[in-house]
Amino acid sequence: MPDRDTQEPGPQELLRVEGVVKHYPGVVALSGVSLDVRAGEIHALLGENGAGKSTLINVLSGTTQPTSGQVLVAGEPVQLRRPRDAQDLGITTIHQELSLAPELTVLQNIFLGRELRRGPFGRGLLDEHAMSARVQGVIADFGLTERDLRRPVGEFGALTQHVVEIIKALAFDARLVILDEPTSGLAEEERVMLFDHMRRLRERGISLVWVTHRLDELYGLVDRITVLRDGRTVATTDTTESTPADLVRLMVGRKTTSLGVIAEGRTPAERPADPRAEVLRLENVSRRPVLRGVSLTIAGGEILGVAGVAGAGRTELARAILGADRIDGGRILVDGEPVRIRHPRDAYRLGIAMVPEERKTLGILADFPLDKNTTVSRLGKVARLGLMLDRRRERAVTRDYIDELGVRTTGAGERIRNLSGGNQQKIVIARCLFTGPRLIIFDEPTQGIDVAAKAEVYRLIHRFVAGGGAALVISSEIPELLHVSDRILVMREGAIAGEVRPDLRGDDLEADERVSAEIMSLAARSVA
Amino acid sequence: MPASRRLARAFAVEGVAVAVIFVGMVVFFSLASPFFLTGGNIANLLVETVIIALLAAGMTFVLVVGGIDLSVGSVTGLSAATTMWALMSGLPLPVGLLVGIGTGLVAGVVNGAVIALLGVNDFIVTLAMLSVGAGLLQVVTSDVQLTGVQSDAFAWLTQGSVLGLPAPVLIAVVVVLVLEFVLVATPFGRSAYAAGIGPRAAELAGVPVRRVRFGVYVLSGACAGGAGVLLASKLNSVQSGLGSGYELTAIAAAVLGGISLAGGRGSVWRAVLGAVFLGTLGQGLQMLGVDPLWFTIVTGLSIVAAVALDRVVGRVALSRLLGADRPTGGPADPSTPLRDAALENEDPRSVQPLAGSAREARTS
Repeated sequence: MPDRDTQEPGPQELLRVEGVVKHYPGVVALSGVSLDVRAGEIHALLGENGAGKSTLINVLSGTTQPTSGQVLVAGEPVQLRRPRDAQDLGITTIHQELSLAPELTVLQNIFLGRELRRGPFGRGLLDEHAMSARVQGVIADFGLTERDLRRPVGEFGALTQHVVEIIKALAFDARLVILDEPTSGLAEEERVMLFDHMRRLRERGISLVWVTHRLDELYGLVDRITVLRDGRTVATTDTTESTPADLVRLMVGRKTTSLGVIAEGRTPAERPADPRAEVLRLENVSRRPVLRGVSLTIAGGEILGVAGVAGAGRTELARAILGADRIDGGRILVDGEPVRIRHPRDAYRLGIAMVPEERKTLGILADFPLDKNTTVSRLGKVARLGLMLDRRRERAVTRDYIDELGVRTTGAGERIRNLSGGNQQKIVIARCLFTGPRLIIFDEPTQGIDVAAKAEVYRLIHRFVAGGGAALVISSEIPELLHVSDRILVMREGAIAGEVRPDLRGDDLEADERVSAEIMSLAARSVA
Repeated sequence: MPASRRLARAFAVEGVAVAVIFVGMVVFFSLASPFFLTGGNIANLLVETVIIALLAAGMTFVLVVGGIDLSVGSVTGLSAATTMWALMSGLPLPVGLLVGIGTGLVAGVVNGAVIALLGVNDFIVTLAMLSVGAGLLQVVTSDVQLTGVQSDAFAWLTQGSVLGLPAPVLIAVVVVLVLEFVLVATPFGRSAYAAGIGPRAAELAGVPVRRVRFGVYVLSGACAGGAGVLLASKLNSVQSGLGSGYELTAIAAAVLGGISLAGGRGSVWRAVLGAVFLGTLGQGLQMLGVDPLWFTIVTGLSIVAAVALDRVVGRVALSRLLGADRPTGGPADPSTPLRDAALENEDPRSVQPLAGSAREARTS
């Protein structure tokens, strides 16, 4: 362990982040974040999706450089240009997707890339003995035995894999460990054990920054809490001085900034007032273990929102409806008729289309020009005799969509990869519209696109629905769901946890806050 | 536009450098050997080139979806054997041709079914098929003497001519035109590109990726069958080991033509250009009296040289172009690494708009 200065009285400050700003082209990810972490404390970092937690962690772990602002470690300003810089300063980040090699042993993973060697100039053979000696002192505390060190990491469960990451941090004298939502993949008992491990780290004088969604986990464990919203620090508080309700209010906030642009587009009046005929019905649809007995209905002219934390089964639901994954139970009915959807192609034929998540890898076909992206889901519509593609018609159709959806581009022949995220997404929507759908599934439709483009995507969703279509909108951003949805289903662990109805007038911020809190409590297992 | 810039733009198009090398090679051989461009000599390696061109054309489809077909060499040999066998059994010529092409087709169906439906790695499956094909060829040839079919029409396939044009060239042109049409202008071809660019994205967009994958192996197999028929016609005799090594030559031809092994790009005519390149090289070496033992070595080296040159020249040209296009004093922070896209919001300039990324992928 490195020496810590203990002459001064009072809690020693280990990390200070001052006014950190991060711009991406078209997006401000952080607009002024401050954070201070004391030596030997557990510090929770709260915020909704998109509040800037991930970007802040990337800054602290050296994978992202801030546009402005500074980071101080033990009072000294530091430059974190690459991950190695952070590691050298004793800052270790444990990401949600663990970076372990499952085939390698625990010991090999701990020292991966930083192996101890013996022989001339320390460049000879691997020194297994020295490596296991180095971790000898800590493994027992975390429930590992000498023999476990030689077993492949893949044989262990999620908890032990976290422990391996923790030991890795300890082996290289970490002073600050950042845990990014470590409990999301853990069972209840494992969570409790992880909390014990976190306390043990604190006893060793190590500071922890813990990113979490779950308010019920904070009490009795966390010393202080910092809340981010819209890329800024809105509060830092002692855990004992705040209630869950306070925290939710801080996280959700008065949505003037993020909804300001949006609110004007909120036009429920345009939609057909009377409920139209049901378009899609799911009865007890299952795909174990990710989907368990999901039932829902969507009618024409309706937008159904789907909320839930990562891993709650929202995308899995979309994939099941589209036929990208097989279902192993239940029925899907389109227009009241039971259907079998074996492949997305079947779904498109039945009038179901999808705007997938992760636009860059799952949405666009990056090397194709706009026109080929637009028509790919229904090539039959632009083929003469079903055989020869009519390039001229493809271009004409695409040009129509470019005008109609306001895509900024040099022309239908431009490669889609050259467009901005928002314009790419509009072409993906055009592709869906081209199939003549009655239901479009939007999976995180505004992920990674700027605010103005978001508003346009909402407008397109509203317009589609105003024309009698149905929409299923999956989103991690609650304000987004509140804005677009008529009803919101909340998913948890593969099942529907409940349904809430947002206030449709859109000017009642109190109501928005109330509904947000309701969604969050349904999405988490329980709220303290 | 200044001339240097125009030149840079021309060279940034992949394949241009290879084409220039090709022309240079032809000029060199013509100067070195006065007989190089005379008709009789060209015919010598013509059939060989046509066979490679056929295989490369089929291979193009497989490469476009991001796969590979290593089995075409021995399948070609096996198809030649079954063609000979059918004709020697007294079956009429059209049936014999169908048997030959059908042999390749069946091999393709097996490849495609195992790869696309069972999801087994394409490299493994086609390598196994290569082995099976070679083994079957050995079995067939050990029993029967496959030689001496008395059929002028059969011989015409490789030795005949129409209006002065050699028949094999005619056959190749027709097949290549049809295949190019299928790849570029039909829903199947479009789906193949889509599946190669992003299989997961294509699947979610409703492209029947598995079916397309199956289809390209069948097509490649059929091409190998056709190549086998031509080979049988040319040699009128089949021994074990026939066609071995053709798969690599066909892949080399496709790569020379600028087709990405990473999938998503390529066209049939370019692969054929690559085949012609290799054929010309072989022809030239022969004319110069180079020991045939050295052919494969020279061929191998020239492939690496051509592709490396294409890549280097292309990259220099590309960076010139981009340098010229880039506005001065832009907001982009040069210290920002490219992976910095936590919000998935890309700077369009960080993604190379021309052939750059494909160039990276092509030789990987």
